[in-house]
Amino acid sequence: MKTTVLNNNPELRVPLAGLLGWLLPGAGHLFIGERTRGIIFMATLAVTFWAGIAIGGVKNTINPQERQLWFLGQICAGSHALGAMLWSRQIDRPADDDPNHTQIIAYGRAEEVSVVYTAICGMLNVLIILDVLVRAERKPATAERGPPNRGRKAST
Amino acid sequence: MIDLHLLATILIQPVTLGRWQQMLLLLPLCLAVSIVYKTTKCANVRDIPVAAIVSWITIVIGMYAVGGVLLLIYHWSV
Repeated sequence: MKTTVLNNNPELRVPLAGLLGWLLPGAGHLFIGERTRGIIFMATLAVTFWAGIAIGGVKNTINPQERQLWFLGQICAGSHALGAMLWSRQIDRPADDDPNHTQIIAYGRAEEVSVVYTAICGMLNVLIILDVLVRAERKPATAERGPPNRGRKAST
Repeated sequence: MIDLHLLATILIQPVTLGRWQQMLLLLPLCLAVSIVYKTTKCANVRDIPVAAIVSWITIVIGMYAVGGVLLLIYHWSV
């Protein structure tokens, strides 16, 4: 019921769709009724972001202290980046002379690929947020129910 | 049932990549970009798969062509 009230108010619908789209990529589209698009965005960005994390490891991929500009791109992926950052802080950085150092910290190609994957995910979410803002402004909340049947006689 | 310990290990430990593996990892990234881009562009949801695949192939060929040209320029200049 609350969702319908929010969805019918264009002044709330547009910013809320954008905010939801940032928090969870694809959620803004689900909120305005674009279910298929929302699910496609949600699945694509989640798989790509966490594939990037799997390549480079969570500790070194999301590193706001050492890679501020890359982190600006990554944080646009919303809850994925926030979750990865919180998880990354829970893991202690091993000392440079620790034999397990490379078990946690990626260097070289793996580091580059993982950072690029996650930052591009963030950039793609910016595109998705812009798309959902346009759709939320343009599309009435009831559009997915089909065209209105006013003035038409039921065929017998 | 998902093994959470195994999942955490996969996400914590980095992998070692060779040059060819790095180049191959361009493919899924380009696929993700083309899927998202075509999902925003296509008016009809049913058109998305074909449009995304065409876009993916175009991006991959374009990227490898640019990479090949830059590699040739690098080798000639050094």
